[in-house]
Amino acid sequence: MGFALTFFARRLAQGVLIVLLVSFTIFALLRVVPGDPARIILGPMATDEVVEQTARDMGLRDPIPLQYMRYLGQVAQGDFGTSFIKARGGGSMGGGRDEARGERARVLDLVAETLPLTLQLAGLALVFTALIALPLGIAGGLMAGRWPDKLALYASSIFVSLPNFWLAIVLALVVTAKLGWIPSIGYQNIAYAILPAFVIAIEMSPLFIRSLSVSIADTMRHPFVELAQVRGLSPGRIFSHHVLRNAAVPVLNLFGVQIGALLGGVLIVEYIFDYPGFGLLTVQAVLQRDFPVIQGIAIISTSIFVVINILVDFVSAQIDPRIEY
Amino acid sequence: MTERLLTVEGLTVDLLRDGGRVPVLRDVSLALEERQVLGIVGESGSGKTVLAKALVGWVAEPLVASRGSVRFRGQDLLAMPPDARRVLRGSAVGYIGADPGSSFDPTLPVGRQIVEKVRAVRADIDATAAKKRVLDLLDRVHIPSAARRFDEFPHQYSGGMLQRAMIVDALASDPAFLVCDNITQPLDVTVAAQIMRLLHDLRSDLDAGIVFISTSLPVVCDIADELVVLSRGEIVERSTPERLLAAPEHPYSRDLIARNPVIWGTPPEPVELEAAPRAILEVEDVTKTYVVPDRTRFFGTQAVKAVRGVSFAVHGGENLGLVGESGCGKSTLSRLLSWVEQPDEGRIRFKGQDIAGMSAPQLLAMRKGFQLLLQDPFNCLPPNLPIGRSIGMSLQIHGGLGRKAIAEQVRAVMAEVGLKDADRERLPIGMSAGQRQRVNIARALILEPELLILDETLSALDPMEQARLLDLFERLQARHGFTYLFISHDLAMVRRVCTRIAVMYLGKVVELADTRSVFFEPTHPYTRALLSAVPTLEEKPFKAADCLLEGEPPSPIDLPQGCSFAARCPHAMPRCRAEEPPLVELGGGRFSACWLNEPEVSRAA
Repeated sequence: MGFALTFFARRLAQGVLIVLLVSFTIFALLRVVPGDPARIILGPMATDEVVEQTARDMGLRDPIPLQYMRYLGQVAQGDFGTSFIKARGGGSMGGGRDEARGERARVLDLVAETLPLTLQLAGLALVFTALIALPLGIAGGLMAGRWPDKLALYASSIFVSLPNFWLAIVLALVVTAKLGWIPSIGYQNIAYAILPAFVIAIEMSPLFIRSLSVSIADTMRHPFVELAQVRGLSPGRIFSHHVLRNAAVPVLNLFGVQIGALLGGVLIVEYIFDYPGFGLLTVQAVLQRDFPVIQGIAIISTSIFVVINILVDFVSAQIDPRIEY
Repeated sequence: MTERLLTVEGLTVDLLRDGGRVPVLRDVSLALEERQVLGIVGESGSGKTVLAKALVGWVAEPLVASRGSVRFRGQDLLAMPPDARRVLRGSAVGYIGADPGSSFDPTLPVGRQIVEKVRAVRADIDATAAKKRVLDLLDRVHIPSAARRFDEFPHQYSGGMLQRAMIVDALASDPAFLVCDNITQPLDVTVAAQIMRLLHDLRSDLDAGIVFISTSLPVVCDIADELVVLSRGEIVERSTPERLLAAPEHPYSRDLIARNPVIWGTPPEPVELEAAPRAILEVEDVTKTYVVPDRTRFFGTQAVKAVRGVSFAVHGGENLGLVGESGCGKSTLSRLLSWVEQPDEGRIRFKGQDIAGMSAPQLLAMRKGFQLLLQDPFNCLPPNLPIGRSIGMSLQIHGGLGRKAIAEQVRAVMAEVGLKDADRERLPIGMSAGQRQRVNIARALILEPELLILDETLSALDPMEQARLLDLFERLQARHGFTYLFISHDLAMVRRVCTRIAVMYLGKVVELADTRSVFFEPTHPYTRALLSAVPTLEEKPFKAADCLLEGEPPSPIDLPQGCSFAARCPHAMPRCRAEEPPLVELGGGRFSACWLNEPEVSRAA
């Protein structure tokens, strides 16, 4: 128990540091790149004086570290600020309708609306990935060098060569528009998540197929696996209790790293399918220079990444006690 | 009719390679009676391990059993269906291998894995009974605090402990037939001696016939009722230990016996102590502690005390041996001596000059004077350089010579170590271990050093090549007046070449004396234990039973108070567990760190 406690205390401390670093980097970059948020909020018709005045009122002319500290203070109280652009009802504001900050959507609300949809999409994508990668990877690893191994290799080569935006467009065109089997564009119910999830799964599965088959083949070559047969264990038990266990750690670590890729994949796929999730929110926020939303998204997605990796490392250490963190 | 326990008839095993068949075992026939111990002795490459595995019906691609049978109580293990064989193998037939470190699943507690095996082959034993049985057996093979050890993982066990656990694993299902394949080979001598003693003890109340396979003739002779000699896949002689040693029939057996080193035979001439020996390397109270993270505590660290206050001097022209078992700090010491790492405390002086105070150019010049040769001949040569360039590189680094002069010297030095001139353009790949080691020697030699530190340099080589290189070292010494520091665990080798010997245990020198004193009148109980554990064919002056207690060497992280050998020492007194004895001179250039020498110390003083 002592291990779990110190592990989490240590890793969470590191995690907070990572989140702070990432959020500060994003915060500072947003304020260095061209594009004045005050101008965006007020629209092209506002005079320079008004823009300057608004920017000063919003604290946008203060030194960046000061702005960041002020922002952190708000975040600590659970206030991620309000969107520059989005209205509470969902429509876009801006374009000169000033003095309406109270009506602007709170970042936290925006995230709360979109994140569950994205988690659903990501979860479904992981299920599809497992359905594709587990059978191909395990068969390839157990029969290294024979046809299942080759099948796994060819399948992953094809998957890795399919650009996700191309696949997304083709699937939307054929499966939704032409055949009308599964709806996609937009969102009404969970059926709308199937095609986007499938696209993400195709993108992620090659790595898992390779990692699984390589680590299973490696484990099978361990002397203890051969010796277990001489010790009287059945092949089924050796596979389920020992080989899978030993092969799991590298695959788990890959999973931790791939969380980043998953978040990135969601971004593009949601945009293409117009799926109203976290990714679409991100793309819109970036295009509209909606600083508070981008910052909130950065903090939340970094936290997800950090927390999942802490969990992955903890589970790995539970499986293989030799791993040091 | 009652069937014999094990009958092997005309067993031939081939290796399938490139579409052809290479025979590994040829027409091997054996018989084992109930409760008998049959020894099989053979060198590496004689097909021992293939035979050991075939005896339990384990012949897997690319090996095939082309002819013959292995019958266990009448059933052919090679011909039976896999499922029947599997059940038989775990229960009635046991197997213990040479590699305890990779015999268990590294991710699960050892005890649980043994219980899993018991349950897999013995449906009649329930989980509680199986656990109790394993705990009892762990106790019986002298694993301390078995209940705690049961839940520990393989990496928390030492090699000797794991081998004991493997023995438990094999015995847990009451086998009638047990194969021990070279089980002492990876272990330190004292640990191996303890395992052999355990096997002797178990034999009396074990109801199993045992096939005991080993490369070491003394070890096989020690335990076997009958034995066979295996050479190149064939049995060349069947005998009993007594008859084989007294009257070997086959030339190969005679050769095998002759190759076993004689340690006590004729004592070496007592060495005259020089009045004022010229010290070439002086080591003064050197200490090295490594700090490693401790995962059980928050930001915690543990200190591994690798070298704890070592002092000695290497005199010009002598051969000093530094012996000890794994973990005694001898490799750390060699890294300190060659200044690859710096000691935490203490001083190292080369020809009277403190290395710590040297500037970088001085250090480079000093390095020319002494060279380190390591154990692994494979990883210390740049793989993409022709060996002629590798050898010449040392001179380039130290500068001052033209390309022609370097080539000249490379040629000379290669001839000196016995490499052909034509080898200059070869890459290390494809060279044998012995040849690579010669390249390494040439690389050191070309700098005309005064001191060579040989850290297990010959350990990876087979005995023939070892003997040839020792001859080379002797010749080089005679011609160039080298001084050698041999760091080794091989007592027989050290006995042959060294004039003085320092014995290390857990980071300290416990005895330092001339070779004759160390082997014939050792003053430290650990030295006696070490000598008693060396497998030899001759009558030993020290018996393992009198010199070595059960127990493992303590961990360098958690050293006990007092003398670190006290826990395994048959002579330990209360004082030994309270105070650590210092290394004191007993007169005649002999040093020892043991409270038993107290009276002698006062006499000498």
